[in-house]
Order: sequence, then C-alpha cells, then structure tokens
Amino acid sequence: MTFGEFVDGPFWYFSAAVFVIGVAWRLYGILSMPGPNDLSTPRGSAGAGAVKANMTRFFPRATLLRRLRLPVVAGYLFHIGLFALLFFAAPHIDFYRDYILGFDWPAMPTWGFILASEAAFLGLMLLVLHRMMHPVTRTISRRGDYVGSILIFVVMLTGCLALARTYEPLRILHFFTAELLLIYFPFSSLMHTFSFPFSRGYTGAHYGRRGVPV
Amino acid sequence: MRHLSPCRLIRIAAVAVLLAGFFFVSTVSAEQAASPTTSPIMVPNPATDLWRAVRQREAPAAGVTQVQGVQSGVLIAKSGEDFRNYRKDDFIGIAGWVLAGAAGLILLFYFVRGEIPIPDGRSGKVIRRFPDFDRVLHWFTAILFIFLAVTGLTLLFGRYFMLPVIGAEAFSVIASASKEGHNLFGPLFIFSVLGMFFRWARRNLPHAYDFKWLAKGGGIIGNAHVSAGFFNAGEKIWFWSVMLLGVAIIASGLVLLFPVYGQGREIMQLALVIHGIVAILFIAGSFGHIYIGTLGTQGSIESMKTGFVDENWAKGHHDLWYEQAKAEQKANAAAGDQHSASSSRDDALSPATERT
Repeated sequence: MTFGEFVDGPFWYFSAAVFVIGVAWRLYGILSMPGPNDLSTPRGSAGAGAVKANMTRFFPRATLLRRLRLPVVAGYLFHIGLFALLFFAAPHIDFYRDYILGFDWPAMPTWGFILASEAAFLGLMLLVLHRMMHPVTRTISRRGDYVGSILIFVVMLTGCLALARTYEPLRILHFFTAELLLIYFPFSSLMHTFSFPFSRGYTGAHYGRRGVPV
Repeated sequence: MRHLSPCRLIRIAAVAVLLAGFFFVSTVSAEQAASPTTSPIMVPNPATDLWRAVRQREAPAAGVTQVQGVQSGVLIAKSGEDFRNYRKDDFIGIAGWVLAGAAGLILLFYFVRGEIPIPDGRSGKVIRRFPDFDRVLHWFTAILFIFLAVTGLTLLFGRYFMLPVIGAEAFSVIASASKEGHNLFGPLFIFSVLGMFFRWARRNLPHAYDFKWLAKGGGIIGNAHVSAGFFNAGEKIWFWSVMLLGVAIIASGLVLLFPVYGQGREIMQLALVIHGIVAILFIAGSFGHIYIGTLGTQGSIESMKTGFVDENWAKGHHDLWYEQAKAEQKANAAAGDQHSASSSRDDALSPATERT
C-alpha cells in the first residue's frame, strides 16, 4: 500500500471516525452534565436568556470594541472565509460528493474563491500573531490554542499549494494534513465550532433565570 | 550544555540564513553562468521542425481567427523567445549576483564591525517602543515577505538550483506549489503595505536632524553619537523604499495575476521584468534590514519581540524620541493621568509606558 492509498483509504476512515465519534462524545458530555440545583423562584425566563445570549453576542460591547477591533475584524474574516472555502470551493464540493454525500451543489466563482481564501489567510495570520503579541491574550492562551491554529493554517496552506489540482503528491499532502486536523479536532479548543451555542446558552440561561438583562 | 537565549538563537539563525543565501545565489549564478543556454530538461519536441518552419516563415505576425482576445491571431510570438532568452541568460544571472553581493557585503561588514553594543550597557529599565498592533503588522509583513521571497526565488532560480538535485518530477511539484502559493499570498501584501503606510508614514516624514544623521553615516562607522527621532534617517529611507517597491511589486503582480483585462504579451513581459527587478532589490534590501535588526545592533530585535527596548538603547540610538517619551511620561504623571499611561498600549503615538 502506498502512502497515497493509505491517506485515501484507512487513514481517511480512521480520522473521519475519530472526528465524528469524538465530537458526538464531547457534545454528549456537555449536554449530559447536571444542571445547577437552583431552588430559588425564577425572576425571568432561562430559555429566553439562553436564546438572547446566543443572538446578541456576535459583537463585543461598544465600550470594548476599540480595544478588540483587531481580533473581531480578523475573527470574522477568518471564520467567514474558512466557511466559504470549506463548503463552496469547487474542489471541496467534489470531495463531499465523491467521498461522503453522493451529491453536490453549485460552487462559488473563482473571484469568490480568491476573496474567501485571502480573507481566511489574512484573518488567521492576524489572529495567531495577535495571540502571540497581545500580553493578555498570550497569558490566557494554552499550547493547544497554538497547535489548533497552526494546524488549520497548515491545512489551508497545503490546500492553497495544491490548487492547480495537477499533482497528486500535493493533493495527498493536503488530505493528510486535513485528516490530522480531524483527529485533533475533538480533543482541542477547536470544539468551540460546535460547543459555542451551549456555552453561550448556559450563561444566558443562568442570568435570564435571575432576571439579569442579558 | 550551554544555554542559548532566544536572542542568541535568532542571531545564529540570521547568520545561517545570510550564509545560506550567499552560497545559494553564488551557486545558482555560477551554474547559470557556466551553462547559460543549456536547458536541464533534455526532452526533444517531436514537432520541432514544424514549429521552426512556422516561426521562420515570411508572413504577417498576426493572422485572422474567430477567437476573440488580445493577440489571439498570433500563432507564434517571436518576441517571446527573445524575452525567454533575456530572462534565462541575463536577468537570472544578474539577479543572482545582486543577491550574493548584498549578502556578501553584509557578512563582510559584520566580520569587520561586529555587533554594535547598547551604549553604556543595559540599564535594566525598559521603555515601550511599539504597541501590539504595530508588532502584529510587522510580523505579518515579515512572514508574508519571507514566504513570497522563498516561493518567488524558487520560481526564478529553481530550474538551475533545485532541478538538477531533486529531478524534474519533484521539481515540477515544488514549482507548481510555489506558483499557487505565490499567487494566493501575493495579494495579501497589499494589506501589509497599506497598513504600514497608514501606521508609520507620519513618523517617517523627514526632519532637519535626519540630514545630520545621514551626513555622519548614522554613526554606524565609528562611535560618534548621532541624534535621531523615533525612526532614524536610515529607517526612513528603508520605509519609503518599501512603500515605493511595494507599490511597484503589487502593481506588476496584479498585472501578472489577472491577465484578463486586455494586457498583451509585451505588457505581461514588462510586468514580469519589473516584478523581478523590484523583488530582487526588495530581498537584497531586506538582508540589510534583517541584519541591523538582529545581528548588527544589540537590543534592536526586542522592540519587535516584546514592544519594549532598554532605556540606554533608546538614549543611544533614538535620543530625541527618548527625551520626548520621558517628557510625556512626566507630564502624564504630573497630571495624575494614570489611565492614559495604562491604556496607551494601543496608541502608537504614546510611548511613555515604562517597566523595570
């Protein structure tokens, strides 16, 4: 078995299984945690607080925005760019069709792809550098935060290098790094992709039940 | 085992990069000069005779075709061969010697002059020089520049340097990856140049004391003290060179990257030559910038690593800025404006934060 066959075959199935089972297990762990044993009379709706916290926390408060301009702008550039690349770049749609779903959908045009990739790279690089340079962010960052960011950067970079779709080694390299990311994902802070609504919801419900404006 | 500090590691890495760059371009230039016309790919084209006859026929350069496009009626552009030969025989060799010369001169200077120490040694007190955003911008530009330089040099010199070593198959993969990476990362350089312009242009405007600094050679030769503001004249020259070269390399790069706006072969060839010349000057200049910031001057790298510099470093190299910063600090303290001092991390023009 060649390395390419290994990456396309057993390693792909293994990494996909680790990703799916790992994410499901982590989410099950979060959802099955016992709720707070709060016997006080509710002053407001916990559900409404959870929903409101989820809907109103996409931007920091105006008083904090000046200090947080860089991470907010870079964060949106990166996440929107990555989302567009992940689900609307033609090579990825082909991959979903051939390897997972069996059907496809329209890809974004070339100019859209270029814009999305520029935004994603710009945002990610600024975010990583901000994490390294800003004294507070650096202090609260763990090694795993850097590993996750750098792994995503490497996956994006290898994808960018394989863009010509002419050379099999470049495609295999991109696949391999993406599979490493899938394996790492459930055990890292990258889980915020799925866990952020629960985290926000928990906080919102906590305050909502006490009648604190969320 | 002797402990190596990060600064020392950076210095060692800088020497290694300079040496590697010197030997790299020397080797390339020597190989290129030794066989200026021999292609390493010895695959005969079965249609060579046919196309030679087409190229040498006596007929108008452009024919008639239903294909709509710039110069789409040209079957074989003779000027393309001239351009290819110019690039192969002249440009690559000269570019190699320019880079080798720049790296060699810097190495020579380093061995003669050595590292310039902090005047009067470390004081143990530091002063803030660059806020976080400026450092993010600087390292973003640096990472981008190095990536673009490595991929660009691979495309320029790889045929002579890498192909004979790793073979055509491996080199074709690396060349394709370099091209795609270079094309996708290139436009990000627009943000770097714009960011640097808006952030640092005002502080890089010339002043009278800059001419005195230049007249004394910046004090780098000898030990004479030369006054300077936040940026000295040498840094200002580098900054405006980066702006000028940056605009040229971005404009020529965009012409090459989007060949769908009516530009013909001549424009593309001109853009490629400009892009190459500017890139070589840029890379050669960056050798000097990297040298002064790491090996050449003790304590300089700290301004971009931590945002703080030693007070004696500031007094010795940027005394006018140091005095202004201390005066601001005193004024803030007198006004009891603690908020201003603590929140000045995000303000590029308020350097008056001190820590020991």
